[in-house]
Amino acid sequence: MPRPRLPAPALFLSLAAFLVLVFYIVPLILTLWASLTPVRNWNVAQLRQFVGAENYKRLFHLIRFDPDVSTVVKTTIVFVAGTLAVNVLGGLLLALAAFIIEERASLGFRLLWFLPRMTPVAVFGLLWYYFFYPQGTLNAILLRLHLISHPVNWGQDVLPWGPWSIIIFVNGLVGVSYGMIIFYSAFKAIPKDIYRAALVDGARLRDLVFRIMLPLTRWHLIFVTVWQLLSLLTTYAHLFVLVEWGVVEKWHGMTWALYVFETAFGSAVNDQALASAAATLLVVVGIGLGLLTLRLMGFERELGAVRGEL
Amino acid sequence: MVEVELRGVWKRFGDFVAVKNVNLRFPDGKFSSILGPSGSGKTTLLYLIAGIYKPSRGEILFDGEDVSQLPPNKRNVGLVFQNYALYPHMTVYENIAFPLTIKGLPRGEIEERVHSVARMLHIDELLDRYPHQISGGQQQRVALARALVKEPALLLLDEPLSNLDALVRLEIRGELKRLQRRLGITTIYVTHDQSEALAMADLIAVIHRGEIQQVGSPEDVYRRPRNLFVAGFIGMPPANLVKATVTRAPAPCVVIAGGGEYCPGEPLASKLEALGLEAVVVAFRPEDVVLGEHPMEDYVSLEAEVYVVETLGRENLVTLRLPDGQAVKAITSPLLNPRPGDKMYVNVEPSKILLYDPETELNIEAIEAAPAARPVSLAEASERRRAAQEED
Ligand SMILES: Nc1ncnc2c1ncn2[C@@H]1O[C@H](COP(=O)(O)OP(=O)(O)OP(=O)(O)O)[C@@H](O)[C@H]1O
Ligand SMILES: [Mg+2]
Repeated sequence: MPRPRLPAPALFLSLAAFLVLVFYIVPLILTLWASLTPVRNWNVAQLRQFVGAENYKRLFHLIRFDPDVSTVVKTTIVFVAGTLAVNVLGGLLLALAAFIIEERASLGFRLLWFLPRMTPVAVFGLLWYYFFYPQGTLNAILLRLHLISHPVNWGQDVLPWGPWSIIIFVNGLVGVSYGMIIFYSAFKAIPKDIYRAALVDGARLRDLVFRIMLPLTRWHLIFVTVWQLLSLLTTYAHLFVLVEWGVVEKWHGMTWALYVFETAFGSAVNDQALASAAATLLVVVGIGLGLLTLRLMGFERELGAVRGEL
Repeated sequence: MVEVELRGVWKRFGDFVAVKNVNLRFPDGKFSSILGPSGSGKTTLLYLIAGIYKPSRGEILFDGEDVSQLPPNKRNVGLVFQNYALYPHMTVYENIAFPLTIKGLPRGEIEERVHSVARMLHIDELLDRYPHQISGGQQQRVALARALVKEPALLLLDEPLSNLDALVRLEIRGELKRLQRRLGITTIYVTHDQSEALAMADLIAVIHRGEIQQVGSPEDVYRRPRNLFVAGFIGMPPANLVKATVTRAPAPCVVIAGGGEYCPGEPLASKLEALGLEAVVVAFRPEDVVLGEHPMEDYVSLEAEVYVVETLGRENLVTLRLPDGQAVKAITSPLLNPRPGDKMYVNVEPSKILLYDPETELNIEAIEAAPAARPVSLAEASERRRAAQEED
């Protein structure tokens, strides 16, 4: 008797479901679980004890009374808001520039902005280490221009905006190509005759951008904003390198995601329970902010009133 | 309004020549048409006039002033795109108001002008809708309203009726023509549909492969096609083109398969003689054929065999074959209903016959006349033909 075979779609679907389960749901449940136990220093046996909301109480206590942790919160807010603005607005500007310049030059221009993203984190970090450290390129230039009289340790001494500017700058450079590529293809996807019609109707560049291109790529704007918001909340690779090498002061270069990492694996005491509570908080805040952004940008309106396809 | 002139205009896309040495004059206040098959360069030509493309060579003049380098927003033209190109994120009102809004006109004036043009085009009920919520015919009117609202000196229309069904097309065709008359705007209407061009235009420019084939009134283009392309393109169905030989004893006569002989009068006879042609292409329109069971007096008569009969309602379209296999079409009364295989006579009035040089494809009548009286040597004749070719 032939064995009944699973149809191909079911196979793919179950594979996808399996991947989602393994890489999203299970870690989430594990994190939530661990945040309710006293687990530290990889003492897995402690995963069977329960302490209720103890870790969350500790966490909120730290946020309120530990100046370092409250600095982390401030850094996170400034970092996410600042880098998001750089990524979205910068991406828009770069996409516009790429769209306006001649076709052949445009490809090189766009590839250039992908370099930071394609460069290994360590190499990219090293580059900016040499740029920002006291004997680095930045100070050399400023000294040469007589703008400063002696080297300044921008990332360590100029608090808080020194380190904040550096982390926004470095991560902005890494993230800006993402918005650029999406906006650029969105601009390209608007039919040429729409642009031509606008030109014949008397539109100047300003009218083209604000009355045609941006309104027609609203959806892309929403998508990039929310996507970048969520990525920025959870990214820490570049920050880790900058903090580790002392380019920026530890607490002013540390966002919540890096704090979670440090608490779990980095410090003398590996407090996985506290880190799990912090991670859970991050997920909740992330979901909340994501939904809020969608609402603020009128995503539902966009879905509700289905506009004609271009 | 404005007179538009193109002088030696070329447009290249890379290696591809889309528009080739076009010299044209569109008279002020007239309805002109650019007529050509798909891909012949009509849209390219229109975009050149609008300023969307810059000519690779040559110049474009508005009222004698060179505007070749002016951007579209400085040319005061209204353009209705082939696909309408309405702004999908704006309502009909906002679409029509767009040219005025970006000019920064006062709100009251914008409102007044939008409503007045919308009323004129019967779309004042639709102002709150989005483009995807209205029909193709309504979109066409919105596009036209948007082009007209800025009161342009020149109106450019790119196959505006091609997406509409036959009835709506007929209706809008009439409206458009009346509107143009009333507003007196110089209008250039691009179409691949010769019936539109013939019905609406004061002047037709036929274009093929980027080259202008003929410029003239609808009557000119229909009755005196300048070359074989125009003869084979204009008309429903287009003219019959039949290969024939030339005999010269004593006067030049054209011998057509099926026993037809056509001895043209002056000045055609001497032109034929001067050109020294051995063969010609004979052209006559299917609607000029009198189909009968007998040859007719004073007509050129060709014996042919009926091949297919198509009933078109008001008339029949009969396809026949000459003895040498060439096909000839004839439009006849629906009462005449021959059967395939019947022998019939294709009778054509001599005055309805046109002759073309098979090599240059030019209408022999249109070729520069040579001094008639003297016999022409063969060398001389071919020299003249080369000259005619170059001139083309
Ligand atoms: N931007 C372009 N780049 C390269 N080739 C082009 C471009 N625009 C048009 N062409 C070519 O030029 C020729 C003429 O194009 P055009 O659009 O003017 O034709 P058209 O007469 O308007 O045809 P249709 O009736 O199908 O609209 C075509 O062969 C087309 O492929
Ligand atoms: Mg076209």
